[in-house]
Amino acid sequence: MDFNLSPESKMMVKAAKDFCEKEIGPIIDEIIEKDDYPDDLLLSFAKARMLGLNIPKEYGGVGTTNLNTILITEELGKTGSVCAYPMLMNNSTAETIDYWGSEDVKKTFLPPLCDGSAYASTAFTEPGTGSDPRALTTTAVPDGDDFIVNGTKRYITGGNKKGYGVFYLKDEALKGEKGDVTAFIVDKSSEGYTSSAPWSLMGLEGMNCVDVFLNDVRVPGTNILGERGNGFKILLRWIAGERIQQAAYMVGLGQAALDESVKYLGERVVGGKPMGFMQGFQWMLAEMKGRIEACRYLTYRAACLQDEGNAIDVVSSELKVFVIPAIQEVARMALQIHGSYGYSKEYKVERLFRYAAHAGVVASSSEINKTIAGSALLKSRR
Amino acid sequence: MNIIVCIKQVPDVTEVSWDPETGSLIRKGIPSIINPNDKNAIEAALQLREMNGGEVIVISMGPSQVEEALRETLGMGVDRAIQLTSREFAGSDTWATAYTLGLAVKKIGQYDLIICGKEAIDGMTAQVGPQLAEYLAIPQLTYVMHIEVKDNKVRVKQRLGDLDRLLEAPMPALITVEREAYQPRVAPMDSILEAYGKEIPVWKPEDLSGNMENLGLKGSPTKLRKVYTPKLIKGKVEMLEGGPEDVARQFIGKLKEKYII
Repeated sequence: MDFNLSPESKMMVKAAKDFCEKEIGPIIDEIIEKDDYPDDLLLSFAKARMLGLNIPKEYGGVGTTNLNTILITEELGKTGSVCAYPMLMNNSTAETIDYWGSEDVKKTFLPPLCDGSAYASTAFTEPGTGSDPRALTTTAVPDGDDFIVNGTKRYITGGNKKGYGVFYLKDEALKGEKGDVTAFIVDKSSEGYTSSAPWSLMGLEGMNCVDVFLNDVRVPGTNILGERGNGFKILLRWIAGERIQQAAYMVGLGQAALDESVKYLGERVVGGKPMGFMQGFQWMLAEMKGRIEACRYLTYRAACLQDEGNAIDVVSSELKVFVIPAIQEVARMALQIHGSYGYSKEYKVERLFRYAAHAGVVASSSEINKTIAGSALLKSRR
Repeated sequence: MNIIVCIKQVPDVTEVSWDPETGSLIRKGIPSIINPNDKNAIEAALQLREMNGGEVIVISMGPSQVEEALRETLGMGVDRAIQLTSREFAGSDTWATAYTLGLAVKKIGQYDLIICGKEAIDGMTAQVGPQLAEYLAIPQLTYVMHIEVKDNKVRVKQRLGDLDRLLEAPMPALITVEREAYQPRVAPMDSILEAYGKEIPVWKPEDLSGNMENLGLKGSPTKLRKVYTPKLIKGKVEMLEGGPEDVARQFIGKLKEKYII
């Protein structure tokens, strides 16, 4: 068992850190203030070749491993902001298209997602659905070689940005069958496609999470991913990868919270000594560090399993069950260490704390992941 | 258009400390980085290549770990990297360094420009670039903020304090760039992966046709006798009182009194 990262992995981490300092750091405050990111942010990611990280080179990707992808994601997580979302969304959506798409679909849709000319989205959730595909109401009705799509999708990240989205729709021609959800690639510039103003979300300023309204949107039948009726399977595979990405982002966030705390305890003087001399704070640092390290190596392991071609549905759920509360606690401890300053927007830990809060409800709730992980254990006894 | 960039691997001075007893640098555990100013030189070379075509070759003299720095330059997008590593090169002062780099440049052969950072953050002499130009007997353009190439000539904007000068020289020529110019790019991820597939040749004294007596410590006219931290002279703090103009006058008077100005 080798816990050392390869030299190229280390250099990628270094480059990602450099990217955060040069491209993300200077715009974070502006993004939070405007609740939007600059239009050229995706192009900055493309220039640094951080889009299509695990997409083969022939489709414009970088062709690296999932482990390298999550190492980069971890570094971006240290910013404790939504800045990485355009990158994460493009990468995970592109990976789904690469895995399930036909050769023509891959050639059409992967290059623009890798070169930053198209923003990706993934659209499953609707006003009345949780994780239940049976509750979907947005329909795709066959019309010649095309499909006509009608309905509303909720909380669609980047749904208001031009590009392509993988939409999970009720395939009307399969009505009554066990699997009636089909995954379609929808051009977000299509006639009849509109979106709401972004939702105002705690800690996720600039996320561009919108409702999408589909009114007689025509989608070519060639835009179908995988087999018709296999949509939920495609979604579950996508969301399993999302959990690993999210865990990596949270590990980065936790590390940032610890770094800020160490810095603060070294600088803040109480009674003539830096606060770090107090044993109580040292204990808190030790607990934070232990949690982060445990989360880090669980996340790396999950990514390695993914690289080896193993199923990650249960592993990624177990990961989420452990990592999210552990890092949320790290963020809380960082805020506590900073005292009332931690509650001030002047200090980074305030942002980290608010950002961390979302992780238990986005990309499948912690509770549904406990159900997945727990029921898998019981199934294994049968 | 072929460009050679000379880089140096230096200790990350933001993490360096001094031994108060011996006054020497504590290098143990200090990470090494590419001299920050040399990254500006690489960026300048890459931008010139993007505009004019050709090849960017990076050379660096140093211990075996200099390979790490060279890999990083390949990650930034340079075409080739050459490492100069040998015990014989150890202890070189700026003259011996420039001499060794000069031998390597001659071995590379055809080139149009050599670009260096203005100075290294560990030595801060700003001498190696100019000495290399002298050795190769080519024009040198120092403290450069902007470079243009046209009609086999190089035109630069040189910054000398508050003064900017526009200079022109025939090529080949050597340029040293300022820290403020050509902010280095983020190494693209695909380029990093490719960097590890490239071979970095290691040149030793026997690969360079030079005089062995001019290499390393032996060939260095400058000998380092001692490194120490000057003792801090503690003085009294004197508060000047009055309006801003009055205080400024008093302050200037004090500086004159102490022969500082």
